[in-house]
Amino acid sequence: METDKVLEELKDIMVERLKFSPSRLPDLSLATALPKDIDGSLGLDSLDFIELSIGIEERFGFVIDEAQDLAPHFHTLGTLVEYIQSRLA
Amino acid sequence: MTSTLEDAAPRWYSHPYNRANFYRLAAALTWVPRRLRLAVARQVGRLAPSLMPGERAAIETSMARFTGATGPQLEKLTLRVFTDFAMCFSDLVSTNRQPTTLRSPHLGHVEGIERLTTTLSGGLISLTAHVGNWELAGRLLAGKSSRPTHVVVAPDELRELERWVRRDGEGVRFVSRARPTVSLELLAALRRGEVVGVQGDRALGTRGDIEVPFFGRPARFPLGPFLLSSGVKVPLLPAFCLLDSQYRYVVKIAEPFVAVRGEEEAAARTWVAALEDIVRQYPTQWFNFFDIWEPFAR
Repeated sequence: METDKVLEELKDIMVERLKFSPSRLPDLSLATALPKDIDGSLGLDSLDFIELSIGIEERFGFVIDEAQDLAPHFHTLGTLVEYIQSRLA
Repeated sequence: MTSTLEDAAPRWYSHPYNRANFYRLAAALTWVPRRLRLAVARQVGRLAPSLMPGERAAIETSMARFTGATGPQLEKLTLRVFTDFAMCFSDLVSTNRQPTTLRSPHLGHVEGIERLTTTLSGGLISLTAHVGNWELAGRLLAGKSSRPTHVVVAPDELRELERWVRRDGEGVRFVSRARPTVSLELLAALRRGEVVGVQGDRALGTRGDIEVPFFGRPARFPLGPFLLSSGVKVPLLPAFCLLDSQYRYVVKIAEPFVAVRGEEEAAARTWVAALEDIVRQYPTQWFNFFDIWEPFAR
């Protein structure tokens, strides 16, 4: 799946599951960080990460790998897109 | 998305026992025979209410609501909370640290052990509260299930305390909830069939709290355990470790249940009902020294 397409799907999840305002979407890029403790990030907390991971599984149809350290994959939208693409490959 | 709420969250309550010198003192008494050590702890506990008027007032509020007691009876129950806490605290830094074989004389029966057996395969969330010797409950369950157990803890203000209360071992690993991505780690652990231990009685002061009636009045409880359960469809197992009249610990395991996606609030109510049941039986082992109904009042 193309990078832009994966990113759009992630934005949909942000709006539908994480209750983001659609007006924030144009500001999001692959460089946007996710966890709340990073300056300029989306400010996701631990509950958001539960919602996001479940949303990804449902949207993309795979189970997130339980054997890996997942935090690096959920660092920015770009690393998350790469992770999803690698799982779909 | 949540940074505003998170930033507004008050600092978490830390009781005056959370001082390294108290831990040192309790740990120094490890060599004393347990019965004598607990007698010393009770004496120390008797002094505590007069030294901690704020905590005493909070406990009186809780005891009055839990038991309906007034007057001298309420005073007696309030004092008993401090003496019971002192005994459990003393065990926390001594007996809890001992290998299972040395601890076993202090353990009574396990009520509801069959419920643990039915949840032996697959992931499991062990849900407990600051009641009795909660830390020992986690270690005992970890030993019984023989699966790695990840215990979620609040980041301590004093790192120095970790050497006494958060020593990894016997299949138990402590995980700080400070990192926002900790939930990914916990979801993965549950999917691997491991155990996650969480405290379900202290609100976080964030949007991750939910209001549920507790002894007839709304109180806030953390929603996270129920989202984890519904996210990976694993059961929640309420478990408590209480000191009995013979100073032995009894473990009580309530009925396991699974949170349904979108119905996490109902699951929280089920948990709070189990917690109320235990607190009714052991009101003086409720070790939250603040007003549970107004936790962030200053």
